[in-house]
Amino acid sequence: MRLSKIWLNDFRSYDELELSLGDGLTAVLGPNGVGKTNLMEAIGLLATLKSFRGAPTESMIRRGADRAIVRAEGERDGREVLIELELAKGRTRVQVNRQKLARSRDLLGALRVTVFAPDDLSLVKDGPSVRREYLDDLIVALDPRADQLLSDFERVVRQRNALLKAAPQRVDEMTRSTLDVWDMQFASLGERVLEARYAVLTELMPLVVDSYERLSASAAVVVATYRPSWGDQSLAAALEDVRETDFRRRVSTLGPHRDDVVLGLNGLASRTEASQGEQRTLALGLRLAGHRLIADRIGDPPLLLLDDVLSELDPDRATALLATLPPGQTVISSASGLPPATVPEQILRYDGSTFQQDAAI
Amino acid sequence: MSAYAKPVEILIDELGRLPGIGPKSAQRIAFHLLKVDRVDAQRLADAITVMKDTVSFCDRCFNIAEGANCEICIDPKRDDSVICVVEEPKDIAAIEKTGAFRGRYHVLQGAINMLEGIGPEQLKIKELALRIAAEDISEVILCTNPNIEGETTAAFIATKILAPFQINVTRLASGLPVGGDLEYADELTLGRALEGRQAVR
Ligand SMILES: [Zn+2]
Repeated sequence: MRLSKIWLNDFRSYDELELSLGDGLTAVLGPNGVGKTNLMEAIGLLATLKSFRGAPTESMIRRGADRAIVRAEGERDGREVLIELELAKGRTRVQVNRQKLARSRDLLGALRVTVFAPDDLSLVKDGPSVRREYLDDLIVALDPRADQLLSDFERVVRQRNALLKAAPQRVDEMTRSTLDVWDMQFASLGERVLEARYAVLTELMPLVVDSYERLSASAAVVVATYRPSWGDQSLAAALEDVRETDFRRRVSTLGPHRDDVVLGLNGLASRTEASQGEQRTLALGLRLAGHRLIADRIGDPPLLLLDDVLSELDPDRATALLATLPPGQTVISSASGLPPATVPEQILRYDGSTFQQDAAI
Repeated sequence: MSAYAKPVEILIDELGRLPGIGPKSAQRIAFHLLKVDRVDAQRLADAITVMKDTVSFCDRCFNIAEGANCEICIDPKRDDSVICVVEEPKDIAAIEKTGAFRGRYHVLQGAINMLEGIGPEQLKIKELALRIAAEDISEVILCTNPNIEGETTAAFIATKILAPFQINVTRLASGLPVGGDLEYADELTLGRALEGRQAVR
């Protein structure tokens, strides 16, 4: 899907904003702190229904307003599509072509985006949760129905933990038999989550290696290994083994919600032993690989959001990144301007109070 | 904190205990009631007490009942050998609309939900076991909601409660909108799910 127009009402710092996007490259230019990332966040929201900064819904509603509206017009398979999101405390309403969707998640898959942001470095440097989220986001982008599986599993983890927290000191029979049933759900959903993650990682791996090599212009041995938080046995058996520990610690100590993806670079653990430059290239390589995987599988590249990432890269890598991106609709934000070789179709420039389209390029 | 007259505060406090009503709404409703005519306020108070005096839950199936038993339990034409287990009385209304079921019901009055502190003991599960032991029942249909809590409740009843009994245990066929409530399914889909129900053991 290609977006042509976006309207924001009471979204973050904007009380009202209307913008047009080009079919190819659109540049959003302005100094830091004027709301470029907010704009990117709104576009990302239309695709995933969540903020790529991990912000809760309430924080995206302008102070003093009780709801925010994000509306976008675009085109898919030659047909006009109008998407409208209404964000209010605790709920999001979604309309497509003025028809209310029964469940907001039915929107997933209508628009796909890939976001590159400066804090992508956390993919390599931070704890396991960011890497699990990276895989899970890809799984949903490739198959929107998987969103149900992932949120069901997350809910079972919360339910199981609530049971462990509420269990009496001397665990009674009723608590044990209730846990039996949650464990059945945990194991069957958990195994499916695991399978989906292994599958997407296997498909992704060659693209990660290739993307890294293109970005760094050198050969490298990049390995991503999925590391479950339990041994070789089935998840059901592992849960049974760890039951007394879980009762004691009052939390689910193993399962797909505790797994990691270990990234190795030239035989070393990239999280601790790679240089900052290598880490940044690897993070970029992961994003790029995900983008290429979706473009290959869906046949339509996702809309690319490059949120102020070029400034973080040396000129060679910035140029290599832009050259490696598959063609498609792209929005770049920058405080310092664009690399010389880049010619945007549309420029949205901050004029001191809002973003204005450059008259003619 | 004592910003309002005591009776207003007491009302706000009582309203705030109701499901789905937060402190802001409780305040708004209380101030609204302060402004309305006395007769209108009295009508609301009467509706609540009359309901509490005349309507409660059926002794047998825990559906809503005027008197000791509900309309379905006292209907002699219904099939005594099949029990449909649902979460709430409103689910009975949804299933009745399909016309696909002529047996009896059992209302659990909720689903297992540890996040809300609801375990099997807070539900009418023990009462279900007693009924099955006492009545001549050949099939139990588990019609809990097609979401995580509903599935877990159905699994608990099937594996922990019904296992010792020689009866058929069935679950609605798939095809219902996943993750939702029974009441959101249209009659046709729900009717089909009932007719296509499958043995869980
Ligand atoms: Zn009854």
